[in-house]
Amino acid sequence: MLQRVWNAFRASRVGRSIFRVGLPASNLERAQVAISSFLLHLQPAKVHKRTLKPSTTFGLGLISLYLFLILGVTGVMLMFYYVPATDAAYQNMKDLEFVVTAGRVLRNMHRWSAHLMVVFVLLHLCRVFYTGAYKPPREFNWVVGVVLLLLTLGLSFTGYLLPWDQLAYWAITVGTNIAGYAPLVGQKLKFLLLGGHMVGESALIRFYTLHVIVLPGVVLMLVALHLWRVRKDGGLARPDEPAFVQQELAPGQLPTSKTYGLMELARGSTPAVGLAPEDVVFTWPNLIFRELLLFLAVVAVVLVLAIFWNAPLEELANRVHPPNPAKAPWYFLGLQELVAYSALWGGVVVPGLLVTALVLLPYLDRRRRGLGVWFARERKVALTLFTVCLIAAVVFTTIGSLFRGPNWSFQVPWKPIPAEEQAFH
Amino acid sequence: MNDSDPTQVKRRDFMQLAFGWCSALFALGASAVAGARYIVPNVLYEPDQRFKGQKPEDYPEGTTFLSDIRVFLIRKGNSFRAVSAICTHLGCTVNRGADGHGFHCPCHGSQFSDNGEVTSGPAPRPLSWLLVSLSRDGRLIIDASQPVEAKKYLVI
Repeated sequence: MLQRVWNAFRASRVGRSIFRVGLPASNLERAQVAISSFLLHLQPAKVHKRTLKPSTTFGLGLISLYLFLILGVTGVMLMFYYVPATDAAYQNMKDLEFVVTAGRVLRNMHRWSAHLMVVFVLLHLCRVFYTGAYKPPREFNWVVGVVLLLLTLGLSFTGYLLPWDQLAYWAITVGTNIAGYAPLVGQKLKFLLLGGHMVGESALIRFYTLHVIVLPGVVLMLVALHLWRVRKDGGLARPDEPAFVQQELAPGQLPTSKTYGLMELARGSTPAVGLAPEDVVFTWPNLIFRELLLFLAVVAVVLVLAIFWNAPLEELANRVHPPNPAKAPWYFLGLQELVAYSALWGGVVVPGLLVTALVLLPYLDRRRRGLGVWFARERKVALTLFTVCLIAAVVFTTIGSLFRGPNWSFQVPWKPIPAEEQAFH
Repeated sequence: MNDSDPTQVKRRDFMQLAFGWCSALFALGASAVAGARYIVPNVLYEPDQRFKGQKPEDYPEGTTFLSDIRVFLIRKGNSFRAVSAICTHLGCTVNRGADGHGFHCPCHGSQFSDNGEVTSGPAPRPLSWLLVSLSRDGRLIIDASQPVEAKKYLVI
């Protein structure tokens, strides 16, 4: 019945004007659907078999994208109730939690997706590093990825202020003061971010505007560029195929060893040139099906988190008394731990060096050996350096999150804090 | 000048290129400067940093916390001084030490002496001392936007 309705619609003038191909039945149509459909043309008509193997990427980038989409949808839903004003914002949060139907679940979804997105973007970065997938010709796409990581952190940080509770107010106070330590421009930057000298009304509207339109807009455009470059740089990174020998061609001479069919034409020395046609499969349905399945899984996990665990909301922001201890969002707690030793080093020098190193990495480490292989033996130095930084980041973040009690004193998480130390003065 | 020489640039072409590029760059530059200037606020609606308190004799001996401007007012006999409670590290509010001496910050554990000097922790500067004055009607005025040298008291 449903099939017949669909077929009738497809055959009609309107149906034909919307769907160029319809559900593909032949290999020709499988290729056509991937080429001519707006959403599907993000993918090539055919993909390498390696792309389908979960262990190639674990789908980490795609999961990040899905979380971004969930954040976009739930974020717009929250905007229908949220007013970015210091005397209304916190009340709106309470309304979302207790009055608005499904408001609590939407806010929870937004909050947990935001945390998960930071996690998965970082994991994605680790995957690309450990498989050497930033090596030529993918250097620039790695840099785009690093910018996307920073934007993800920026999105999360700007969103942090919006509930206008104690957590929000003091995390942003601490965070913007760290920016103030930047040499020369620090104080100006802080003033510009806050639109004043303190976290107040103008800071809230600035963070809101950045959070709901400026940063998501930039992320959307860069994600499009990021995905486009994945295709143009020859698909997912994989080891050079040893059997392939580049043919020296006279001008005008056609290569004899290649089949021109439904593959993309790839120029120059990109890995797709000379690809053996046997190693590729049709994107529809092989890849599309897996991607949809992954999307369902991500939505399911976020929903379960959102239904069973509530996003934190502390008391109304109090500009006199910080909570004790006052902590930044978890992904900045490694930095906050460093900041507890020195604000200049922890807040400016170390993160500055880390970002610079990440941006320069693909231009310094250019050898193609180990490309597309997890933990390639040829890359011992790079792997060791990266892993040491990674472990340091995890250790500092763990100390900052779990081992710091009132007055930032060291304490073990399994021992209760004495009541007199929790009290304010 | 030979018109048919292809390496010669004609005056008209040169003028067109020069004017074209100059006006395009000027338009871009001016818009960028104006756009950047636009987001710097000219008027701030922030609370007044001057605080008018009680008469001096109404304050008890020892420390009083003025929460409106985040300042500790400390009375010793007939001398008054004000110490900012805003931590010089990252802007949290410091607390009076549990034994009534010194100050400590809940955010990153900076500790300060009674005079505001850093005794431990990451704070880069001592807590500011602030201007305390007397109004015409005999009440204390504390100006949190006016730091003074340390050890400067108002003696009544």
